[in-house]
Amino acid sequence: MMRKATNWTITVLIALGSLLILFPLYMTISIALKNPEEMALSIFSLPTGLHFENFRNAIEATNFFNALKNSMVITISSVVFILLTNSMVAYAIARNMKDKFFKVLYFYFISAMFIPFQIIMLPVVKVTTDFHMNNIVGLIILYVVYGLAFNIFVYVGYIRSIPIELEEAATMDGASTWGTYWKIIFPLLAPISATIGILSCLSTWNDFMLPLILLGDQNSYTLPLVQYVFQGQFGTDFNLAFASYLLALTPMVIVYLFAQKWIIGGITQGAIKS
Amino acid sequence: MAKRRIAFYLMTVPALLLFFTFHTFPAIQGIFYAFTNWDGFSESYDFVGFKNFVNIFKDENVINSYVFTFKYAIVVTILINVLSLLIALGLNAKIKFKNFFRGVYFLPNILSVLIVGFIFNYLFSNVFTIWGAKLGSEFLSQNILGNADWAWIGIVIVAVWQGIAFNTILYLAGLQTIPRDLYEASNLDGAGKFREFISITFPLLASFFTINMVLAMKSGLMVFDQIIALTGGGPGRSTQSIALLIYTGGFQGGEFAYQSANAVIYFIVIIVISALQLKFLQKREMDM
Amino acid sequence: MMKKVIKPFLAGVLAISLLSACGNNGNSEGASGDKVQIEFFQNKAEAKATFDKLITKFNEANPTIKVTQVNPPDAETVLKTRVAKKDIPDVVGIGATDTYSTLSKSGLFEDFTNDPLIKNIQPAYLDMLKSMTGLTEMNGIPFSTNANGVIYNKAIFKELNLTIPKTWDEFIAVAQKVKDSGQNAFYLTLKDAWTTLPMFNPLESNIVGLDFFAQRAAGTVTFKDTYREVAEKQLKLLEFAQKDVFGKGYNDGNTAFAKGESAMYMQGVWAIPEIQKANPAIELGVFPFPSTNESTKNKLVSGVDTLLTVAKSSKHKEEAKKFVAFLTQPDNVKQYISEQKAFSAVTGVTQDDASVTDLKESFESGNLIDFADHYIPAGMKVETIFQEFLQKKDIDAYLTKLDTEWDKVTDRK
Repeated sequence: MMRKATNWTITVLIALGSLLILFPLYMTISIALKNPEEMALSIFSLPTGLHFENFRNAIEATNFFNALKNSMVITISSVVFILLTNSMVAYAIARNMKDKFFKVLYFYFISAMFIPFQIIMLPVVKVTTDFHMNNIVGLIILYVVYGLAFNIFVYVGYIRSIPIELEEAATMDGASTWGTYWKIIFPLLAPISATIGILSCLSTWNDFMLPLILLGDQNSYTLPLVQYVFQGQFGTDFNLAFASYLLALTPMVIVYLFAQKWIIGGITQGAIKS
Repeated sequence: MAKRRIAFYLMTVPALLLFFTFHTFPAIQGIFYAFTNWDGFSESYDFVGFKNFVNIFKDENVINSYVFTFKYAIVVTILINVLSLLIALGLNAKIKFKNFFRGVYFLPNILSVLIVGFIFNYLFSNVFTIWGAKLGSEFLSQNILGNADWAWIGIVIVAVWQGIAFNTILYLAGLQTIPRDLYEASNLDGAGKFREFISITFPLLASFFTINMVLAMKSGLMVFDQIIALTGGGPGRSTQSIALLIYTGGFQGGEFAYQSANAVIYFIVIIVISALQLKFLQKREMDM
Repeated sequence: MMKKVIKPFLAGVLAISLLSACGNNGNSEGASGDKVQIEFFQNKAEAKATFDKLITKFNEANPTIKVTQVNPPDAETVLKTRVAKKDIPDVVGIGATDTYSTLSKSGLFEDFTNDPLIKNIQPAYLDMLKSMTGLTEMNGIPFSTNANGVIYNKAIFKELNLTIPKTWDEFIAVAQKVKDSGQNAFYLTLKDAWTTLPMFNPLESNIVGLDFFAQRAAGTVTFKDTYREVAEKQLKLLEFAQKDVFGKGYNDGNTAFAKGESAMYMQGVWAIPEIQKANPAIELGVFPFPSTNESTKNKLVSGVDTLLTVAKSSKHKEEAKKFVAFLTQPDNVKQYISEQKAFSAVTGVTQDDASVTDLKESFESGNLIDFADHYIPAGMKVETIFQEFLQKKDIDAYLTKLDTEWDKVTDRK
């Protein structure tokens, strides 16, 4: 294979395009660090004195650490339970596709991908109320259950590409179905679980609609919900508002900075495999 | 063997029950309420037959929300796919700092849609207007979100800014599956870059194109967060999406039953579109 | 290897979820420790800080009760959502709006008809509530009232030698003079649909009158035949506003008016604290919106801004009522209205702030009229119809739309 020289035209175009992506984020950081007087001089310039008090006020006003804790509990629990349970359901289905029950089940789950959330949005509020699930635990259960449609579709496809001989050997050795799933299948699913884990993590962390309609107690609000709730109170203080936005965006950005390769790699892998 | 079957049932039945309770049952309930006049909080309600459905077809607000949502979803889908394919091609070319740029282009995907919307809301009213004024344009010096005819473009801009990230990565994944030697062969033939794209790259990306079109279209049709953050559905009702209409009408307007009927119709529309889209795109994939 | 890592991790996650589950249950049961938890839900973002101060005072005086405030945006939607969830806050503070009236009719709130607290409330406001809901029960206690007029910048009025207009023609003449001087007469914030209401309410109440809505419901009148003057005047006001009226929101307007970017600002008195926050030195006043050319006919739009009520489903009604009684004590009402520039529904408490002295006359003479938009079904989202009309400027289409939307929404019931 021959080595081609760097294509500078494309490099410059790509660099210019990335400025369009970065500009709003630059504005967010710079507004968050300014005070109203500096804003009046120029909105674009770099902040002169760093006004970290914006952050202190934002943390206080929105009870930031509480929301952060809620978002983390919800996201981590949802992802863990999604990976464990959804893959297990998919395993049972994938290995019994000849059985009518499991075949119907498969199409039942994946057909839900086509049902717009809006149709269940209003009644689900009633149902969750009847089960006293208008709280963080209820939210986690819903994320795990709603994940089934897409995740079973992905997992079943992947599991069917795993040769069944491995399991048969294990069964011969006396392993139970549970043991086979846990010791043989689950580890083999690691690459696709990484993809599903990343996607579920991002969508749960940033979800707004389900917490909005479900959570009643202000102490259990998630980060995006808190930003929505405090819009009114930020009033004319844009610096405070932006400090709060920046704080809410930061945790995921930090994760991304450290795990960027892994996150993009996971999605790329998933895309090629499925 | 019976033990194995029991285990398989134990693995699936709890999920089935939960899924039925929290997904299928509410969906059925929604369909049930669509035939009543329940407002969402009263103790009692009556059956009204198909009255809600008939009213929906006569309701200008509902029709507007469909027009807006589809106009928006189609434009966003096309823009996202064109731009992310271009970016993916660029990122796949021989460029400097490839990993850095890839990281930058994917960044918007990890950010909360709602918060990005709030940030752009500010930029539209306080930053872009300054640029517009500097350019001396009367039109550009006004907040686009305040203009009933153009506000939807503002929402498109934000959705595209954020939406290209994910599709770019998928296209990039697709490009990496294309074997290098195919290009080398065409290089020998002296095929132009554009021809190379049309005859080699794009056909091999077909399945990724299908996925990306479906994904972008789906999220376009569900648009909610951006609108809450940017316009709240205004000015007037010009940017009221179907999702927003069902939410505000259903919870705020005391139209629980009426909006349930709207949701049922929306469900049917989505099913038809999904079926058509898959059929059309997959057929084209085969033809290539 | 995998197992070793995952098991403790899983246990940890489970523990966290269980803990948060307990936490939540604790809250909904209303007993964290030995304190009774009372949730106070109110809809005014501007008033959050003031209520917080009063709540602190109450919590200190009542060590066995803990009141917490909830103040979400789009509060009426949130409240209805919570009603659908049968999770009604213990104490609710909202305006006397269509939402209040619908929820009252659904029988969700306590009946205060025979409650001693009622005796301290100005009868005019009790009547307003009754005529709104059409119920014999009193499901809420009027707490504070507001006024919807024209806020003006005294410095600009002085500089241009302007006097407070008493009639519509004078009003337009004043606006024209400001415009001729190269300044903005009004600052409009039409990106936020609800800010069309402070212009609409005085026009409708004074020109058409509130009886219209009952007649419209009976089908004897239409918007098309009755509303032309209102529509024309709504449009007229646009001529004197700043550029990009549809690109600016309420917050932008408060800041801009505070910076002296317009001579007048058609808003309720609730905007005054926000304006003063942005510029504490501003000298401003408020005058009643002169809707017609007969100055005696121009009543000040004033209604119940916040009423307090207790949910029938509350597990701690006694404590909830204690909190309501606390808020309606004259000294607390006084604190609230002076910080909020509101007016009191409780007899004997007066608003003496210099910025609102021009309204005193209207209050004393009882020359008041209620908010018109509170009589329009919330499902119509009438403010979005106003917003669209002001942009499209088509009077006939607008009036037709008001009629069709009204019929549509009432037909759904």
